Amino acid sequence: MHMSDALLSPAVGLVMCAVSAGAIAYSVSKIKEDGLDEKMVPIMGVMGAFVFAAQMINFTIPITGSSGHIGGGVLLAALLGEFPAFLTISAVLIIQALFFADGGLFALGCNIFNMGFLACFIAYPLLFKPIIKKGLNRKNIAIASIITIVVSMQLGAFFVVIETLFSGITELPFGAFVAIMQPIHFAISLVEGLITAGVLIFIHNMRPEIMQRIYPKNEIAIMHSKKVLIILILLTLFMGGFLSTFASSYPDGLEWSMEAVAGTSELEVKGLIHDASQSLQDTISFMPDYDYRSADEGGSLTGNNVAGLAGGTLTFILAAVTGLLISTAKKKSKPKPKM
Amino acid sequence: MFPGKKALQIANIKSKIVDIYMLEQLCNGNTFVHRLHPMVKLLTTVFFIIMVVSVNREDFRILTLYLFYPFVLMAVSETPYHYLLKQFALVLPLSALLGFSNIIFDTETALLIGPIELSYGVVSFFTIILKTYLTVMAALILVSTTSLQDLSNQMLRMRVPAIIIMLITMIYRYIDILLNETSIMLTAYLLRSPREKGIKISHMGSFVGQLLLRSIDRAERVYFAMKCRGYQGAVSYDSKRSLNIADYMYCVLVCSLALIFRFVDFVGLLGNMLI
Repeated sequence: MHMSDALLSPAVGLVMCAVSAGAIAYSVSKIKEDGLDEKMVPIMGVMGAFVFAAQMINFTIPITGSSGHIGGGVLLAALLGEFPAFLTISAVLIIQALFFADGGLFALGCNIFNMGFLACFIAYPLLFKPIIKKGLNRKNIAIASIITIVVSMQLGAFFVVIETLFSGITELPFGAFVAIMQPIHFAISLVEGLITAGVLIFIHNMRPEIMQRIYPKNEIAIMHSKKVLIILILLTLFMGGFLSTFASSYPDGLEWSMEAVAGTSELEVKGLIHDASQSLQDTISFMPDYDYRSADEGGSLTGNNVAGLAGGTLTFILAAVTGLLISTAKKKSKPKPKM
Repeated sequence: MFPGKKALQIANIKSKIVDIYMLEQLCNGNTFVHRLHPMVKLLTTVFFIIMVVSVNREDFRILTLYLFYPFVLMAVSETPYHYLLKQFALVLPLSALLGFSNIIFDTETALLIGPIELSYGVVSFFTIILKTYLTVMAALILVSTTSLQDLSNQMLRMRVPAIIIMLITMIYRYIDILLNETSIMLTAYLLRSPREKGIKISHMGSFVGQLLLRSIDRAERVYFAMKCRGYQGAVSYDSKRSLNIADYMYCVLVCSLALIFRFVDFVGLLGNMLI
């Protein structure tokens, strides 16, 4: 996945160089602030050389008879953490570009982003860590490794396509390019995922203290409940207030099938109970059909939004009250500890 | 029993080691290019690469002028031509692939040579190949005439964080050691598996894992060794070297020629003179 200089235009190359340089600078400052740089640099150096050596090992793929090698990005992130791993991969890529002509000098920005940034800062924290936090065992390690590596390689391949297309170098249509890149990298990443899983499980079996030091058992990040609440409220406001503008006026699935079958979208029911509940609903509902009472047939935009907001707020209040009632009841039923 | 694929795998690893240290040997030369200040070499290389990359496929003939850069420098620095060509050959496949796809997809006619029609696809194919050649050669000439020590010190002076510099130098040094380790493990494995041509995929986990454990142990020993020798965080030492008149002249010459060739159509003039 190493890109050569010839595939880039100056603009795209410079932008990606700036992005990667920024990410590197930030990672360096992060490592320094924890005071970890002194201890980490030797291990980062040897791990970088290890990735090099590991990439030299070709394995035979059973059915196709061809050979491949691992990338090592996610493996590094799993063992070192995202910031040291990113710096290590960047250094490895720089050396590959300088001494092995594997990827251009100008394309370093793109390569560091595609193979380092995406793996360490997007795939690893969002996929690998949460799965491992559920429990450090063989199954989780395997699932986490495979999923993270597949996703990070797909993202990386996708960005190669985007960077090349934005540079205007290739006439290959977007669809065709993607159709070539993604499946190949999917196959490669599956194998790399399996191997990385194998390596991590091997380490977990032989020297469990290494993995346990990195992923201690009781460290589950509980988000502050106030933050969660605020986020939920904002989300509701956003969805009710803004998104409901786009509420479709077409009949929903049920109404549409009813129309097709019975010729009308609302059942007409007769009977005492139905009449009573119908009139009850008419009195209570202060925004019938999600609109102001006095609105005309077409419906009004703000009516919809206000309805969304009002509905959201009411639901929130109901839910909060329910939760409060339940927790109060629980507290009362718990036996008081004897002093 | 022929050596076959097993020996090839081990040889492949060893050849990488040879490659790295071949470049290091080349840096010990004493030609004009070797004596230039590292900053000048770094800046002119980057400038040259950016100029090459900025060429559109319509201005393809400018790239032929840019060929002077690698040819002249390789001659002056006495770099073995075939060695750099080998490195270039490794990079060619992906560029060739994209070039071929352009031939397929872009069939608009670009120019006519007598009765032969050349499409934009063909033109851009050659553009990509030439650009790859020029950029790769520029980078290789840089590293074959400037030692890693000088390059690192230069980057340090340009405010690249010391951690990165330390990482690069450490990885560079340890590649050899770890490749040797890998080669030993691979030989042992292949000697114990008569019918295998490579490592079975089911064994990759423990093979690479074993290598990883040994690397981790080695890293700890390295850390303690560095501490014993007074290591207190990433530091790099540098010997100051000032710019002289040759450096300035080289820089001005290369940058101005690159700019002139980019925007003045000398090749067209030459062609018109011939015809």
